[in-house]
Amino acid sequence: MRISYFAPRPPFRARLAYDARILQVLSRSEFKLKYAGSVLGYLWSLAKPLMYFTVLWVVFGSLFEPGIHHFGLYLLIGIVLYTFLADAVTAALPSIVSAGPTLRRISFPPLVIPVATSLAVAMTFLANSVAIAAFLAFSRIRPQADWLLIVPLVLELYALVLGLALVASALFVRFRDVGQIWDVASSLLFFASPIMYPIAILPDWAQRLVELNPFVQVMQDVRSVLLGTNAATAGVIPRVDSRLYPIAIAVVVLAVGLWIHRRESPRFAERA
Amino acid sequence: MRARPTIEATGVSKTFWIPHEQRARLKEYFAHPLKRTAYEQNDALRDVTFTVAEGEFFGIIGPNGSGKSTLLKVLAGIYRADAGTVRIAGRLSPFIELGVGFNPEFSARTNIEISGILMGLTRRQVAERFDAILEFAGLERFVDQQLKNYSTGMLLRLAYSIAIQVPFDILLLDEALAVGDAEFQQKCFDTFDEMRSDGKTVVFVSHDLGIVSARCDRALLLNAGAVAASGEPGEVIRAYQQAPRSDDVVAV
Repeated sequence: MRISYFAPRPPFRARLAYDARILQVLSRSEFKLKYAGSVLGYLWSLAKPLMYFTVLWVVFGSLFEPGIHHFGLYLLIGIVLYTFLADAVTAALPSIVSAGPTLRRISFPPLVIPVATSLAVAMTFLANSVAIAAFLAFSRIRPQADWLLIVPLVLELYALVLGLALVASALFVRFRDVGQIWDVASSLLFFASPIMYPIAILPDWAQRLVELNPFVQVMQDVRSVLLGTNAATAGVIPRVDSRLYPIAIAVVVLAVGLWIHRRESPRFAERA
Repeated sequence: MRARPTIEATGVSKTFWIPHEQRARLKEYFAHPLKRTAYEQNDALRDVTFTVAEGEFFGIIGPNGSGKSTLLKVLAGIYRADAGTVRIAGRLSPFIELGVGFNPEFSARTNIEISGILMGLTRRQVAERFDAILEFAGLERFVDQQLKNYSTGMLLRLAYSIAIQVPFDILLLDEALAVGDAEFQQKCFDTFDEMRSDGKTVVFVSHDLGIVSARCDRALLLNAGAVAASGEPGEVIRAYQQAPRSDDVVAV
């Protein structure tokens, strides 16, 4: 990259502190804006996955409950994780275009924009996780040490989410189709993932394909950690590569996202 | 006589490629893979070279669409030049189009915080300067109103008050005084005097030739993106008034 602009750069730590401050202030205002003027505000985004959950439980409960241990929790975990992914990417997608006026008035690292937006959705995700915890307690499932594995799994999911958010938000500046593409892709993802059905009902080739999806791997792993292996993988032949490939894919998605963002960002101010 | 240059722009060029019809759809790429979009080439800046010395008040004048705002944005690091080099020695405070990160849905209170932090203040520094910002803007009464209910003049007051509260060596001012009333203009002039005695550098884009001639040490005339004259403000203004106006006015 040709450098043609020389200005004094504050020390690294000061830049990091500045980035952290704008990240905080932007995600907070994103959060406030989203619920400005609505009476129940934040409660809506908490209620959304729970409403999906209730309907799907009623509809599919009789169908899949016999085959899956703790079907209610199985479903709830799937929906909460999916809602995080879908809502974070959907929110981040127009974020750089929306920040256009700010980008044209001051120079700051535009990476914080999609990061701030996805983190604002992560707050909702954390709140939704409380619903899962309550359900777990209600089902008398006791916390265990291996629940700590949830932390790296959620980080892996966030890497995937951020990667998708970076790709979508940077490309949306140039191609408004990205919005429609994501509309379709996110609903395909919902039905192509074993969120409300057991993965075992898929034909073997489809299982192999679906298991490559990092989202599915995270979801299945969270389920097996919380509910025991049987619930998530009932009827599935265990494979060695079942984690290696999806984790690699999540890392690649994040790397591609960062690369596209970096390539496009010098022109965000004039194009957004 | 003058101190070292604080802004050094060498051969700066910037071209905007504006599609004739917004071709923001992939379909068009697939539907007409061979047909390239017709682009309007707008050479907003052509080989612009100048320096601004430390402590100088530097005016940039020129007709609409001559590249003044683009130049300011290149100086602020907002647009990346296609060619040429910009060297800045000092902390910048940009005042470019009204208000950094202002959000009309939020109150002035929230906007001061967002804006101040975007411009590099810490939360504590914003809190310390909060009253001074409001007082200078004269907007104490409206602090909890949403900005969407503010007039342009009120927005200008708020934006300018924030811009001068950020620690800076170089202030970039785009049309700062165009919509302010006489009282606020006088307040701004007072801050100019202060900045001058503090040795601050001010780059000043304006259509008010009177202010440029009264306040600036040197000036630059842009015409269709190129430097048409530079030097002593009186002469540059004369060159502007005598020059035939360029017809290709393109606003970006």
